[in-house]
Amino acid sequence: MSDWRGWLPRAWSLALALLLLGPALGPGLLLTYDMVWVPDLAVRPDVWGVGSGLPRAVPSDAVVAVLDEVVPGMLLQKMVLLGALVAAGLGARRLVPDRSLAAQLVAVTVYQWNPFVAERLAIGHWPVLVGYAVLPWVLLAGRRWRETGALPAALLVLVPLGSLSASAGVATAVALLAAAAGRRRTGPVVLLALAANLPWLVTGALHAADARTDAAGAELFALGPDGVLPPPLAALALGGVWNGEVVLPSRDGAAAWLGLALLVGLAVLGARAWRRRADGRDVVALVVCWAVGLALALLTWAAPGLVAALAEHVPGGGLVRDGSRLLVLCAPLVAVLAGCGAGAVLRRVPERTPRLVLGGVLALLPVTLLPDAALGLSGRLEPTTFPASYAAARDAVDGAGPGDVLALPLSSYRQPSWNHDRKVLDPLGRHLPRDVVASDELVVSDVTVEGEDPRVEEAAAALAAGAPGERAERLAAMGIGVVAVDRLAPGEAPAVAGRVLLDTDELLVVEVAGAQARTVPTSWTVAAAAAWVVWVGLPLAGAAVALRRRRDRSLGNAARA
Amino acid sequence: MGSILSTFGSLAIGGIVASATIVGVVSSQTSPSGESPANVNQPVIQYGSEG
Repeated sequence: MSDWRGWLPRAWSLALALLLLGPALGPGLLLTYDMVWVPDLAVRPDVWGVGSGLPRAVPSDAVVAVLDEVVPGMLLQKMVLLGALVAAGLGARRLVPDRSLAAQLVAVTVYQWNPFVAERLAIGHWPVLVGYAVLPWVLLAGRRWRETGALPAALLVLVPLGSLSASAGVATAVALLAAAAGRRRTGPVVLLALAANLPWLVTGALHAADARTDAAGAELFALGPDGVLPPPLAALALGGVWNGEVVLPSRDGAAAWLGLALLVGLAVLGARAWRRRADGRDVVALVVCWAVGLALALLTWAAPGLVAALAEHVPGGGLVRDGSRLLVLCAPLVAVLAGCGAGAVLRRVPERTPRLVLGGVLALLPVTLLPDAALGLSGRLEPTTFPASYAAARDAVDGAGPGDVLALPLSSYRQPSWNHDRKVLDPLGRHLPRDVVASDELVVSDVTVEGEDPRVEEAAAALAAGAPGERAERLAAMGIGVVAVDRLAPGEAPAVAGRVLLDTDELLVVEVAGAQARTVPTSWTVAAAAAWVVWVGLPLAGAAVALRRRRDRSLGNAARA
Repeated sequence: MGSILSTFGSLAIGGIVASATIVGVVSSQTSPSGESPANVNQPVIQYGSEG
């Protein structure tokens, strides 16, 4: 393949990623729904999963907290988002056995520019997008493992990277099993998948006594329609996020139907060519991933009661309740079939100019049919700068007496004017240098999904006490040393007696006297530390294996010379 | 003759798709996408609403 043919898909992938993110790459931090990045996330107990709440952001928070000691949070966020999108597209390109340029460009566009990517960006599920980017590379490395019989060093980096959240870790594990299990590899494959998911598995188990997943969430977070497409068809088009607020307006029009028809048409045309060219086991791996992802997503839509029972009674069962998140497993096959379909169509066009133009059209069509994903989802992804009060609050909490922070009002989401009136999970807690007790209750379509941190209930009971002094005493007794109030957020923030450390238009920070710092049980520390050592050991081992193999190859070449 | 027709036909289709893409992207940027400010009287900011 000539140089420009090799570089064009890379340039196309980068151009698509830049067009998609647009203003999100400008100065400031992007805060959208669950994506809450701060200038410097503190390395504190809850990022390792030993805070009082369920470890929902393990291991992603720990990775960010450590990396932003080296790279500023703002730059790191942009590197992660841009890098994930480009890596995703280039991975999909490599999966396509049809080496024609058009097939590769179509696969890149379909994988990078679709409702799944747009909706997960809007709702802020960046670890899911990192897992999405890693998925094709895991499938490719799994193939290499089968072919060579030697564990590729890259997998020791890719699998933990694809497991930055629990659901991403499960998807990565399914892909790894589908691509590499068999013969004597099954044991190592299972061990690798377990090791990569160990931080959230272990710290989740430490909280098992308090963990309870509200059954109400199963119905609310199930696979939903994607604009005009009903849920089962939305799933085929890689859409169907539960939250209608993050679905782009273009999904409400004929473009959604046209896009689905074209995607299915290309997939049907490409299936035969793909089966002929691809390795049989690759076919099995991609079809298994697609079937597992689709089946689980459809299950959340067809049988929310069953999913609710799973979430309530089976540890970790709550992982499947966000139905469309599992469609991450369907995307590789969809992109590969679309690419092969485009290649099959173009081979029927004998003349050069029409072939070139048609190839360009097919590569561009996903953008044409989802135009409002461009430029940061039509301006939805707009970075912001935290008010100066947030840095002042961090300093104030740093200098306060012992104890955790209680964030008020006791509600999860904010919609501050300084964030362009866009919704975001309360960012105050992540700005502070200590563990924070904050509401983890979610309200969706006026239905409340109960939270999981028992200390929140305890704090609510303390706040219900009669006078500010009594509230302060009860909060101190449960280990709360500071109360931080977001004054711009709706909801009640009962007064608590104490020394005012900060009082601005946005925030009020009060020190509560007499609190003792919460101690993490030694057994928790030991268990969590062991899990983290294993997790960090994987990429380190990968680097060591790669270096050793490179050295062996160099010595082998020198000996032959 | 057929060759000329298919060449011009494909160029026309390519032009239409390219134009539609540009028009779609530009018009979606000019349509309002902002959210209404939070109402301080509402009890809580909702995580979202079902589609």
